[in-house]
Amino acid sequence: MPNIDDFIRPKEWVSDFVTDIGKVLREWGKDKYLPVRQNIDEDWKHHKIVEPLLKEVLVDLGINAAFFPYEVGGTDIPDVCTLICILGEEGARIDSGFTVACLCSVWPMLPIILKPHRNMKLLEEFGPKFCGSELYVGCNAMTEPASGADIENVDRMQGRTIQTTAKLDGDQWVINGHKIWPTNSGDTANLYGVVCTTKKGSTDLDDFAFIYVPADAKGVSVGGPYQKAGMAADMNTDIWFDQVRVPQRYRAHGPGDDLKYFKEMITYGNMATAAMCLGVMKNVYEIIKKWTTERIIAGKPLKEHSMVAAALSDIAINIEATSAWIHMYAREVDRPDIYGTNPWDDTLVHKTRGLSTFACKAVEKVCSSAMDYMGSYGYSREFDLEKHWRDSKMLGLWMGGLGLKQMENARYWYELETL
Amino acid sequence: MAIYPSQEWCDEWKDAMNNDPACVETGKNWGLDFPGDFLFEITPGSGLDKTHYMYADIKGGKCLELKMLDSQGDKKPGFYVTGSYGDFKPVVKGEKDFIEGIVRALFIMKGDMGKIMRNAKYIRAMAASISSFKNEYLGE
Repeated sequence: MPNIDDFIRPKEWVSDFVTDIGKVLREWGKDKYLPVRQNIDEDWKHHKIVEPLLKEVLVDLGINAAFFPYEVGGTDIPDVCTLICILGEEGARIDSGFTVACLCSVWPMLPIILKPHRNMKLLEEFGPKFCGSELYVGCNAMTEPASGADIENVDRMQGRTIQTTAKLDGDQWVINGHKIWPTNSGDTANLYGVVCTTKKGSTDLDDFAFIYVPADAKGVSVGGPYQKAGMAADMNTDIWFDQVRVPQRYRAHGPGDDLKYFKEMITYGNMATAAMCLGVMKNVYEIIKKWTTERIIAGKPLKEHSMVAAALSDIAINIEATSAWIHMYAREVDRPDIYGTNPWDDTLVHKTRGLSTFACKAVEKVCSSAMDYMGSYGYSREFDLEKHWRDSKMLGLWMGGLGLKQMENARYWYELETL
Repeated sequence: MAIYPSQEWCDEWKDAMNNDPACVETGKNWGLDFPGDFLFEITPGSGLDKTHYMYADIKGGKCLELKMLDSQGDKKPGFYVTGSYGDFKPVVKGEKDFIEGIVRALFIMKGDMGKIMRNAKYIRAMAASISSFKNEYLGE
């Protein structure tokens, strides 16, 4: 009898070991998260339930440490993109909001973690904290109140809309600005990766700066969490930087390279987003399969009606297509030695935007279609579908939203010159 | 220098693990409430004429026993690792990474993956200790 493990996953590229890592997260979720999943929405403000669970995954299960070099206390698991996709998929099957909180902990660290551009000096400073026995969380502070998609539209806006500034004063950066919506903002994160400009209004790509700022630095303050339609396990607040001083060495790399590896982060973000869509769709598959098997309409199981069968087929097709596409691109990202393209190259940034677009549209369609056939039951909390339906909408909204994703994808495939 | 694989090599690796502060520290909880022993199956090729088995009993950061076996026998280890001699050799030489070998399926590891994830730093330290001393190799 087919189940979620029968959907496409190329064994040539995803070893049993990596699949088993995902299954550890699956088992953990079954034991620890699913019993409280329906309570997470009420936990949006204080994360009394979420925070201990975050520690279990990031610290006890070693997900933070998995990405850091051995020399600083990590386990340095290779083929990072594939690993992120497996974790994203398995995690989102449980809760996409919780999963984005987990994965975004290391997201801002990727510019200094990933080979071949590791910044060992900074890793020696921050790595032991992420790999220690206490919860230490990262946060990627990109979006600003007036300029969400613009900041990530680097090719066209070239950083000119970034309002958060970094000025060098002696051997310290002085940071001023306001960020909004970052995952793990509020009281969750211990370290921010902050997108700044060293010259407001500049289109010189060398002025784009990515600087690490400890959350307890003087001059950092946060607002209260926003109450959203879903994704309650993902804390989103404002962050203000008022004359915040950090050492000069906290800049990830320097002029030009900060932007280059920021683009690499976008590629990874696209991949993780698609993987989370896949995880949600797989859980929806489980829910709708059970429902349409047990629900008897006109004397036979609901799935035995031709119209329903067609919709169920579409759900399976969307899962198969998304999974195949994810693993193909994950392979490209992990193995530039084979494909000749670096994860920071426009080719991969823009192509993975297309995957993310496809997956985000697919998950919306799948959740909505499943609800159509569950009726009011699907809309009620106890059947777990409505949470995915609410949560997964967000997957298509972040990182510039579908508009930017599609535009950047078209930019690559159609050589757009004005967009 | 010991020949890899041999009982002499096993003795050296056991000493290396037990004298490595990283192994002792990160492995202090390893195998305390679960079977933490390993059986390595090294398949022939690259100078090795037949399958060799190596058994390591590890508990609380200490290697209690490390020995060559003629066969798996009735051992039911907590973790079973299979790989070819040609793939194990560069790991023992320190030229390739054991974890990378597992992730890329050069080696197959069977056992409780939850324990591996919760003790990944110990597995890392153990893997690093394997290349901390000089050896001789068959077929070279």
